[in-house]
Amino acid sequence: MLAGLRVSAFLAGKSIQRGSRGTLALTIMIIALIFVNLVFLPSIISGVVVTFDTQSIDFDLGNLVIEPREGSQYIDGVTGLQKKVEQIAGITGTSPRITAGVTYFYRGRNAASTLYGITPEDERSVTKIAEYMTAGEFLSNGDTDAIILGTTLAGTEGEEAGGLPSLQGVGVGDSVEVAYPNGETRIYRVKGLFETQSFGVDTAAFVTTREMSEVLGLQDQASVILVKTAVNGREEEYKTEILSYGVQEDVLTFREKSGGFVEQAIQSFNIINAISTLVSLIIAVVVVFIVIFINTVNRRRQIGILKAIGIDQQIIINSYVLQVLFITAVGALVGIALNAGVTTYLTAYPLVFPGGPVYPDVEASAILRSIASLFGVSVAAGYIPAWRIAREDILSAIRG
Amino acid sequence: MIVAENLTRVYTMGRVEVRALGGVSLDVAKGEFVGIMGASGSGKSTLLHILGLLDRPTSGRVLIDGTDVLALSDHRRTLFRLNRLGYVFQDYALIGELTALENVYLTSLVRGASKAEYLERSAEILRRVGLGDRMDHRQSELSGGEQQRVAIARALVNNPSILLADEPCANLDSQTSRSILDLFARLNEDLDQTIVMVSHEDWHKEYFCRIVTLRDGLIEEMVECRKA
Repeated sequence: MLAGLRVSAFLAGKSIQRGSRGTLALTIMIIALIFVNLVFLPSIISGVVVTFDTQSIDFDLGNLVIEPREGSQYIDGVTGLQKKVEQIAGITGTSPRITAGVTYFYRGRNAASTLYGITPEDERSVTKIAEYMTAGEFLSNGDTDAIILGTTLAGTEGEEAGGLPSLQGVGVGDSVEVAYPNGETRIYRVKGLFETQSFGVDTAAFVTTREMSEVLGLQDQASVILVKTAVNGREEEYKTEILSYGVQEDVLTFREKSGGFVEQAIQSFNIINAISTLVSLIIAVVVVFIVIFINTVNRRRQIGILKAIGIDQQIIINSYVLQVLFITAVGALVGIALNAGVTTYLTAYPLVFPGGPVYPDVEASAILRSIASLFGVSVAAGYIPAWRIAREDILSAIRG
Repeated sequence: MIVAENLTRVYTMGRVEVRALGGVSLDVAKGEFVGIMGASGSGKSTLLHILGLLDRPTSGRVLIDGTDVLALSDHRRTLFRLNRLGYVFQDYALIGELTALENVYLTSLVRGASKAEYLERSAEILRRVGLGDRMDHRQSELSGGEQQRVAIARALVNNPSILLADEPCANLDSQTSRSILDLFARLNEDLDQTIVMVSHEDWHKEYFCRIVTLRDGLIEEMVECRKA
């Protein structure tokens, strides 16, 4: 057994060492590119999910969202509820928000979007919007005539925003008129502009809760309360914990709040990924099969001679399998290097998706899965042509 | 050593049946140098292929050292070829990617010999066939006579009971042919090596102990000559 493997390795080594370098390099390169294809798409899908989760938690929803109980428009007794939730170990902040669909007017232009009423200090404890101001300042608790706008909503002079709400050129210090759904209108001075690269947030604007409560006639009420937890990924546990404290309102994780959008997107991406993986593996099978088939056909006489001098056909087949293993191993290594290059480039210059910048998220499991599947199909594709030629009658093989 | 009984070999080519051997019986004793001769198409190579376990007869029986080799599985036949037989082909049949030394020690590698053992043994045999200075050369760097000497060294490396040679001088000039036949004669005389060789050259007869002449797949004549 070991002697047989030693001979297989010897024959494979000599064939690789003294065979066509060009064919070998080309085959390795094809396997490397197939490997990149196998790893790249899952890394982008994973990156999209990570981006969506991060953007949702950091700018839009926090980790958990408390909503009014069914049939109510607002949560009542917000201050008490905040205190109750903030008692729970691991919850690091809560931010009540009042939400209203409004129309903004600026120099004869108008745009319909969402306006949030927030308590700035509370909001800082949950979201990172305050850290992403591109101009001016974030709101202060006492502001009543100030508004901050997302850069998409503020817009650029003379430029449409591709169907998104845009006032086309609002700057810090400008005045914007806001028409509330109850018919009230207010003029606010733009205190700052923010850019989170999450289009749902960058098309919105914020005023203080104090101001919005006054306009809408609310008292210690909110449309939602965002909850920030110390660690991400344990939202379900915190949700159970909050409910166990007797909170009567609806509590949703940020994923639930997004209405299954991410799950649907992941499912669609996974179908695309499965098709891409299948096509890549078929290409790998075809390439390896053709290379080994041509190799064995060209060496048909040599295979016959080896059998004639007493070398078992399994040793001959194994020598081809070892060549395939070598090609696949080097191809995978080159693929890992190429993938590292692509990942480095896309980390420096990320792909821009509507939910934010997407960085490739290369998971070790994806690499291992790709390597395993590549080895599996390559060995099978190499074994079959080698087996077909090696089992041929000795004299027929020698006569070619 | 070799007992071949009533061997027939019929090839089917489309609807036509071609009888290459029509019932050949032959005994070869240890230490004999047997020449199988005959015109082209007389069945001599077919007989050698069957004796070398490269082909199976349509009917008949072959015993080598008492073993019914036709009853062996393919795997056992391969092992038998490896351990008991040495085969020299007309066109050398070397592995082009390997050097002379590697071609020779390849089968020792299969037998599980240690590196020192197979290197020493292969180098010694290559020196014995006059290729001590050509060991690291590949097939393309060797002349026809040198290639045939490598093939002979490869056939001898595992100390085979029987050396089978299928027209080993067919592609060589007369001087090189003579040196190959001298080598066979020395092996036969010095080491008592059993050799069965196919040839169609009349002047080769002087080297053989016994000459078996085939005609149309049958033994036409069997003559004891050099060594009775």
